Amino acid sequence: MAVGMLAARRGAAWWAGLRPRTRRGLAAWGFALPFLIVFAAFLGGPVLAALGMSFTDLRSTDLRDPLGVNIIGFDNYLRLFGDEVFGQALVNTGVFVLGSVPLTVVSALAVALALNRGVTRLRTFFRVGYYLPVVTSIVAVAVVWRFLLEPDTGLVNSVLRSVGIEGPHWLDDPAFAMPSIIVMTAWRGMGFMMVVFLAGLQAIPRTVYEAAEVDGAGRWQRFRHITLPLLRPTMLFAVVVTTIGQVQFVEEPFVMTRGGPLNQTLSVSMDVYNQFGFGNYGYASAMSYALFVVIVALTVVWFRLLRSAR
Amino acid sequence: MRTRRSWAVAVAAMTVSLVTACGRDGGEPGPEAARPVDAGAARGELIVWAMGTEGEKLSELARDFEAANPEAKVNVTAIPWDDAHDKIATAIAGRQTPDVSLVGTTYMAEFARSGALDPTPSIIDGQAFFPGAWDTTVVNGTSYGVPWYVETRLLYYRTDLARRAGVSPPSGWPELTAFARSMRDAAGAQWGLNLQAGGEGTWQNFMPFAWQAGASITDPGGKQFTLDTPAMIEALEFYKSFFSGSLSPTTAPRPGELEQGFVDGSYAAFFSGPWHIELVREQGGPDFAANWSVARMPRRVAGTSFVGGGDLAVFKDARNRDAAWKFVRYLTQPEVQVTWYESVGDLPSVKSAWQDARLSGDPLLKTFGDQLNEAVSPPAIATWEQVASVLDTQVERVVRGVSSPADAARAMQAEATAIGTGF
Repeated sequence: MAVGMLAARRGAAWWAGLRPRTRRGLAAWGFALPFLIVFAAFLGGPVLAALGMSFTDLRSTDLRDPLGVNIIGFDNYLRLFGDEVFGQALVNTGVFVLGSVPLTVVSALAVALALNRGVTRLRTFFRVGYYLPVVTSIVAVAVVWRFLLEPDTGLVNSVLRSVGIEGPHWLDDPAFAMPSIIVMTAWRGMGFMMVVFLAGLQAIPRTVYEAAEVDGAGRWQRFRHITLPLLRPTMLFAVVVTTIGQVQFVEEPFVMTRGGPLNQTLSVSMDVYNQFGFGNYGYASAMSYALFVVIVALTVVWFRLLRSAR
Repeated sequence: MRTRRSWAVAVAAMTVSLVTACGRDGGEPGPEAARPVDAGAARGELIVWAMGTEGEKLSELARDFEAANPEAKVNVTAIPWDDAHDKIATAIAGRQTPDVSLVGTTYMAEFARSGALDPTPSIIDGQAFFPGAWDTTVVNGTSYGVPWYVETRLLYYRTDLARRAGVSPPSGWPELTAFARSMRDAAGAQWGLNLQAGGEGTWQNFMPFAWQAGASITDPGGKQFTLDTPAMIEALEFYKSFFSGSLSPTTAPRPGELEQGFVDGSYAAFFSGPWHIELVREQGGPDFAANWSVARMPRRVAGTSFVGGGDLAVFKDARNRDAAWKFVRYLTQPEVQVTWYESVGDLPSVKSAWQDARLSGDPLLKTFGDQLNEAVSPPAIATWEQVASVLDTQVERVVRGVSSPADAARAMQAEATAIGTGF
């Protein structure tokens, strides 16, 4: 007892003797420590282990002796350049992102503008309606869309048939599978972007618009010269978040097409998933890191393009 | 999901092992000798993993084993099939394996190659099993398990439509084409024969044709791929002809659509395994029973089908190895196999079990039993899943007219060789 109290008192004296700056620093580290430990053990560790794995020829058959593998340097990364399926997956992912990100952002902005200005009645109803796909399970959404796109009995082709058009086999036709998935993704991602844009629109002061109106600016001019520039930080956030999310898209093709037909909807993430499934742990890790580098590069590009003009 | 779990497996593997030296030992592993199993009754606790219905029902079957071996206690853990591969892989990496597990036939080579499986001892007689099923346990010349149950593929067809069209079950390839055409043109079916046009598992539908033409996936030793052969090209040509002749749909039927279409007559025939007996009965009801049957594979050079199923394997890290093999021997006794068939519907892997009237008395089942004598499994190589996906892709390219059969065979060979056999 006495020893314990003595130690406590000595500790308190030591703490009081520190400079305030040091004391604050130590306290901050103390609060951050639980998170840091959990992060290092469960995220940092595996992330670094995967980086290490990407330089070895580790396969699932090496499980009992995982360190008895060869270190092969950048061989896995070099192999990516000759991998036709990976190349196809890269092209598919590029097409998907180039199609779905602009489509999502433009449609979300249009809806947000309409809800912010035009629609006054039933506004909450529409907001909930557009947001609903975001909170619905992606798997359920994909399954329902698969039914809608069914060639003979699906709603889409039934509607087309009623106006005399014979619709294609959407998900089974190499030319239409990817566009179908892009439209579905934009439809689903729109709600979240809409909420972000609504918040951004409401942050623009009314007085600016009023001043512009007094100066005789029309609707389009106000949109072009006030809304868009002031929405730029919001736009940056929207585009970066959407791009990062959609470069890694996997559930949509996984549920709707399994990457087919003819690998036309195979994404990079799905290819990585397949390679892990095949037991090529080293190679799959290298693929993941290649994708990581692409995402970082894209983010940097977006930041450059949309940085607020100073 | 699986990706994340596989990561966990790999990371666990990295951390658990305390081996400090890096680099492979070099040289390929040769055949392994099996240790003998002691005589007498089994003793001690046995931990058994099984998936699906097998996992739910196995403890009932184990009661008789426990009665015969009073000092043994069998603990069965049921595992969902979706998790099975990664759960076993994690157990191997952490050296916390069960004593016995049901292992999917296509995973055998991978687990055996990792050195986790115990070679089959001499108390198991390999001759008692269907040879195609036994082959799934043999990796690099050594058997690492025992076939527990089997399945093979047959032609399901509408007997009433065949009668109307004036055709009988096809004996050869030209007859199969004529059969499908008559089913469509004379009996009014929309599709004469359903074949899988692409996607995962297409190889199971396609490879029987390749085997019938005399093609093989690897040489007999399982060292080299032999995919670019005239027989393979001939089989690809033949497979394609059903799609280009509009006898088979290029759009895969939705879940349930095939069974429904079979009953309403829009799909006149298809190839599938024994589980479809129950599915067709459910869909068609009692009145439909007289309108359909199954037939053996058509012949070209051979009348081969595909054999799959589940194997039982004992792990090197098992705590109760001798009792484990005795339990495996018990599960492969002919009478136990017939009891098991009655309990869960798994077809026996032991040939002599098929003499039992409960199996040979049923004409549908008897056809499956006959076909099992002429059924081949894919080679037991550690990279099979990856090679299978190459076959799936190339067959789809041929079906959709993107590649010629000759180009596809060449691509199959080149890609499979680049992947290697994993040894």
